[in-house]
Amino acid sequence: MLRSSQKHRQDTIHQSWQLLVFSVGGRRLAVKTRDVSGVSYWHEPIPVPSQTPFVTAVIRQGKTVLPVFDLAAFLHLTVQGSSPLCLRVKHALGEMAMCIDEEIPVLHACDPAALQTYQGKDLPTEGSYTNGLDEVPILSISRFGSTV
Amino acid sequence: MERLQPCESNLAEIFVSIDEIRLVTENGQKGRGMGVREPMMGTASPVSLSRFLIVTLGGRYLALDAESVCGLLTVDECGSVEDPTIHGMTYRAINLVDLLDIRNDQDGTNAHVVLLSERDARGSIQVTGVEGLLELQQSQVLPLPMQFRGPERHWYRGMILFAQSIALVLNTTWVLDEQASATGGQGNTLRCAKAPKISVDNSRVC
Repeated sequence: MLRSSQKHRQDTIHQSWQLLVFSVGGRRLAVKTRDVSGVSYWHEPIPVPSQTPFVTAVIRQGKTVLPVFDLAAFLHLTVQGSSPLCLRVKHALGEMAMCIDEEIPVLHACDPAALQTYQGKDLPTEGSYTNGLDEVPILSISRFGSTV
Repeated sequence: MERLQPCESNLAEIFVSIDEIRLVTENGQKGRGMGVREPMMGTASPVSLSRFLIVTLGGRYLALDAESVCGLLTVDECGSVEDPTIHGMTYRAINLVDLLDIRNDQDGTNAHVVLLSERDARGSIQVTGVEGLLELQQSQVLPLPMQFRGPERHWYRGMILFAQSIALVLNTTWVLDEQASATGGQGNTLRCAKAPKISVDNSRVC
């Protein structure tokens, strides 16, 4: 009986979308946890002269160098807080870093039934969900830095 | 006086003393001085080593393939001449700040002019500072991340971990090509083969 209950709960978890909810410039955004490779403190980026929109810097973490996608500039926002965070995301072209607000991201399990089509056109998304009055877009990471 | 670089193995003979240039390491520590083309005596290296002159421009580290570096002058040594001409060979000034579209608001007290040459093309670039020489395996040159997908892919040959930061390996072929196209190919008119010997001692043209 207990085992059955646990299995049911696991099935529910597996069916739901596991999201990491964070904010940029106070705007709440989400990304699938499977697209996230880490969250750490943000270090000063190293500028790279470039003509690729929103990709004009890299960050170095040890011997790893990651390109930075300037999500805040893309959204015409400014990252909030004196200690912003670094969101590392998995991308088909390789890992990528984004600077996000210092507010600690939270995990959120989203019922697929609650997913909806994102109404805005300012972001590549895989949909959105509603949190109170807010519509939280779920970023389509694969489309950042390649088609954006 | 150490030999810095012949433009091509049997072409121009340009000698530079690089007393002021230090071999720098990834963590920024300075090692012993070494000429860019100092003969590698002793045990044969099983891997091919590349040497880079690390310079700064606009607060960024740039790495120049030492094979393309002909000489190094201070700005004072260049005087008011825009295009350094050394024994009849003109190294047309290439404005990297414009070329890379970067802002250079750095103090120019340590500014140098680097003379570049590849095949028949020559040019000179002014940099904010010279860090020194870095010798490493070619495999240590990291590729530019694929997310950089604009013309900058032609600007750099990769990246090098340097001093808790990175140095972008400048594609000197592109730099010289840009200069040549900007001047209608005039930069290619003089051949290094006819160049006389030039000595640059302690970064001074003699």
